[in-house]
Amino acid sequence: MILSKQDFLAHARLDRETLEVWIEEEWLVPSGTPPELAFSEADLARAQLIRDLIEGIGVNDEGVGVILNLVDQMHGLRKALAETLNAVRERTAVPDAGSSMGRNQDHE
Amino acid sequence: MKDPYEILGVARTASPEDIRKAYRRLAKTLHPDLNPGNKEAEERFKELSAANDLLSDPDKRRRFDSGEIDASGAEKPRQRYYKDFAAEAPAGHPYENHSGFADFAETNDIFAELLRRQAEAARRAPGPDLHYRLAIDFLDAVNGATKRLTLPDGGTLDVTIPSGIQEGQTLRLRGKGAPSPGEGEAGDALVEISINPHRFFVRHGDDIHMELPITLTEAVLGARVRAPTPTGPVTLTVPKGSSTGTILRLKGKGVPRSGGHGDELVKLKVMLPTEPNPELEAFLSSWAPGPSYDPRRDMQT
Repeated sequence: MILSKQDFLAHARLDRETLEVWIEEEWLVPSGTPPELAFSEADLARAQLIRDLIEGIGVNDEGVGVILNLVDQMHGLRKALAETLNAVRERTAVPDAGSSMGRNQDHE
Repeated sequence: MKDPYEILGVARTASPEDIRKAYRRLAKTLHPDLNPGNKEAEERFKELSAANDLLSDPDKRRRFDSGEIDASGAEKPRQRYYKDFAAEAPAGHPYENHSGFADFAETNDIFAELLRRQAEAARRAPGPDLHYRLAIDFLDAVNGATKRLTLPDGGTLDVTIPSGIQEGQTLRLRGKGAPSPGEGEAGDALVEISINPHRFFVRHGDDIHMELPITLTEAVLGARVRAPTPTGPVTLTVPKGSSTGTILRLKGKGVPRSGGHGDELVKLKVMLPTEPNPELEAFLSSWAPGPSYDPRRDMQT
């Protein structure tokens, strides 16, 4: 689902000025070219996270930037770790593949 | 659901400020986006949010305290968390950040290889898909059509509607989405179809239902009448002695489906003349239909 700026403001319950600040701070990076910005569901969830940080937890503006940067790094690391684990599994799975094929043939 | 005071760890006499503090303290450690690997945190955060919603609203809290409402039903279905999107985001998405392990890449090992692969994947990543909605007329959905969609940027997109498309079906137009940020292919355009209702046709699966008004004369004596179908009117034989509710089937006049068509089901509806008709009244007052003519016979107890 891609949202226009208008729809995004309504879904995220944000006002225009706040959104502009968030984009300027690069807390949100919508796609599209101004003034036709396009927002994804990920942007919407991210906006909700920013609201939770500010309104729910009481983080100040500087803190939000720091947290988002660390959250993004953490997701980079989680992804890298997941891929590393997959790569390791693929490598260790090779000798197994031959024997499992042999087993399948036994069943037939 | 557990007691909201217990979830927040506050006394029943806690002030709004105490509640706010307790919520903040717990939210910091339980927010799913700050604990992406912790399933239990997500569950507990849901409870916490519900408890906070209940107790931070003075009116709801008062009603809860007096037993007017209970804690159940306070949980709102939460939209998905950012972490869910981050986990499945394609390589090259705008929030991607490798600086947490970029230094590993300087060594010549599996991480370096991984980063090289990621950069390559980001370069070749296709553009994002773009989603659109298109409302089409009932008959276009049945018969198929080509519709032009005007895009937000002023461009247009010709959408070929296959015959027999259903409400809510999504058409994928390959390569008509957003361009790739790198050198990959453009994404796809996904067009969700909604179908406007028709004035007298109603669709049930592959069949089309319609009510056809007929005159009293046509009902009693039988007649050949014109009946509309999605592909144009056809002549329909109303058998002698048809009643309101009689259903006639027009084979193959329904919605196209693989290997044929559904049917159109025409339900007859006998309409009396709109103006009072003295001749008809005079005839009926002298007419005796016989004892077997009792349409309410089945209702008698």
